[in-house]
Amino acid sequence: MTTNPLTETTVLDALRQVIDPEVGLSVVELGLIYNVAIKGSSVRVDMTLTSAGCPMGESIRGGAEIALLNLAGVTEAQVELVFDPPWHPGMMTTVATA
Amino acid sequence: MEAALPISAAPDLRASRPKQVRATAPSVSLPLRFMLTGLVALFVAVSWIIARPSLLVSYHYNQYVIAATHLIMLGFICSVVMGAMYQLVPVALETKLYSERLAKWQFAFHVVGFVGMVWMFNVWNMKQVGHFGSVLAVGVGLFVYNIARTLLRVPKWSVIATAITAALAWFSLTVLAGLSIAAAKCVYESNEGLATAEGVKQVVGGLRFIAGIVSHFDAIGAMHAHAHLGVVGFFVMLIVGVSYRLIPMFTLSELQSKKRTALSVILLNLGLVGAVVTILLRSPWKFVFTGFAVIGLAIYGYELRAILRARKRPVLDWGLKTFLVGVVMLIPVSLMALTLSWPQLPMNQFFNQLENLYGFLGLLGVVTLAILGMLHKILPFLVWFGVYSPHVGRAQLPTTAQMVSERFQVGGLTAYLAGLAITSVGILRESELWVRAGGLLLLASLVMCALNAAKVLAHFFRPQIKPLLAPKSVSA
Repeated sequence: MTTNPLTETTVLDALRQVIDPEVGLSVVELGLIYNVAIKGSSVRVDMTLTSAGCPMGESIRGGAEIALLNLAGVTEAQVELVFDPPWHPGMMTTVATA
Repeated sequence: MEAALPISAAPDLRASRPKQVRATAPSVSLPLRFMLTGLVALFVAVSWIIARPSLLVSYHYNQYVIAATHLIMLGFICSVVMGAMYQLVPVALETKLYSERLAKWQFAFHVVGFVGMVWMFNVWNMKQVGHFGSVLAVGVGLFVYNIARTLLRVPKWSVIATAITAALAWFSLTVLAGLSIAAAKCVYESNEGLATAEGVKQVVGGLRFIAGIVSHFDAIGAMHAHAHLGVVGFFVMLIVGVSYRLIPMFTLSELQSKKRTALSVILLNLGLVGAVVTILLRSPWKFVFTGFAVIGLAIYGYELRAILRARKRPVLDWGLKTFLVGVVMLIPVSLMALTLSWPQLPMNQFFNQLENLYGFLGLLGVVTLAILGMLHKILPFLVWFGVYSPHVGRAQLPTTAQMVSERFQVGGLTAYLAGLAITSVGILRESELWVRAGGLLLLASLVMCALNAAKVLAHFFRPQIKPLLAPKSVSA
């Protein structure tokens, strides 16, 4: 078994496992990921929420960190919630089917 | 080949967890206790209609109708709305609830207050209605204070915050009006009889003063004004305000016109102020102000349609459909409001029954369907949040759509609409048989709603957590 190098694609693939339970789409498909920065084995992600008052904000942020730490080669993961620019549905990368 | 990671293999993040983002939602148990209390009250209310269908085929100014109406308004609608507000206002306004502890105290006052009021209305003991109403009012005071303090934390004021503020003001007035009406009806002991309790004496003196003012208006006008303050001012205002936030959120859409949203809320408030005053004074201007409110609701409907047309989530779930059916029911109810506010309306048996139908469809049509629709959304979310939120990123979790039974939701809505239709015919025909048949269908619908809720709540006891699939690109 070989391990792929850590890239933005592998990071986004890992984040696709973090699903918004209401919509049934991942944080990537919802367009919530604003920025991915990889430095060695450290990954920093800036993400937003569909609403700044989203009660699931902390669990989604924490879940994204765990998904990144599950990724081979990642020893440190940091996910920051940012709200500028505010999210809007035009940022989605797919149409919700659920 | 996909590699499955056992849940236990997920690294413990506690050591490396960065700074906490403030949680906006209260604990799951807080809104749940209000909502479950509300559903029990709705079951009792519908069972009461089945047992005593004369409630809806006789003129509504009698003790049993007033008791049943308060059971629906306070026991069902207020309980669910208060619980939902503790959950949704922080979400809708992007802030945090001021105090969960106050909310728990309010629950106790609320339950004691409304149960006692309904009981005392039923036996027509107005003095005790006043006492239990005061207990309820203490709870309402705590509720209004808590939400008002939450509103003060709002980072950016919006039309939604304005609508919620207006709803709180109307709700406070409703309770004050209700207590005043109770005081006016009550043959209370003289305040001289309470010589040793100066504080109580002053309160009683104040109530008697208010009662003196209320007694200048006719009793039915005061009761109708009180009912409109509560139903339109509190419930409909909240439905309008909160749906401007929640419908875009649930359908992945956006507000389409801030001007329209503002205009709808302004007209609804303006119409209500005028309608309440003209109902009290029995003025022919009632029709004009009812028209303002109806135009406000029409603009609300138009904006809602625009939001839905712009949505990125094509499929509407049954929770949203149920809510929207409630909104559509505003059309017949508004038409009835215009008809009943017509200045030259003859007072005959048909229009008496139309008043019953107006109240019935307003409460058990518009407001109840809107609430049941939102319950289909909120209940799974609360349970999901309580059961699954610690597992995000660690395991495969069900979506909220997978937690509900669509069969029960569809069956429930169908039976409910059939029940509303048959009961409505029964009210207009003054037929107890039809009202009872409609009531049985409403009860069948509520049973399906309860079965659906039980399926959702079962996740507390049997969580459906599956091991996580590793991302495809990690292994080759």
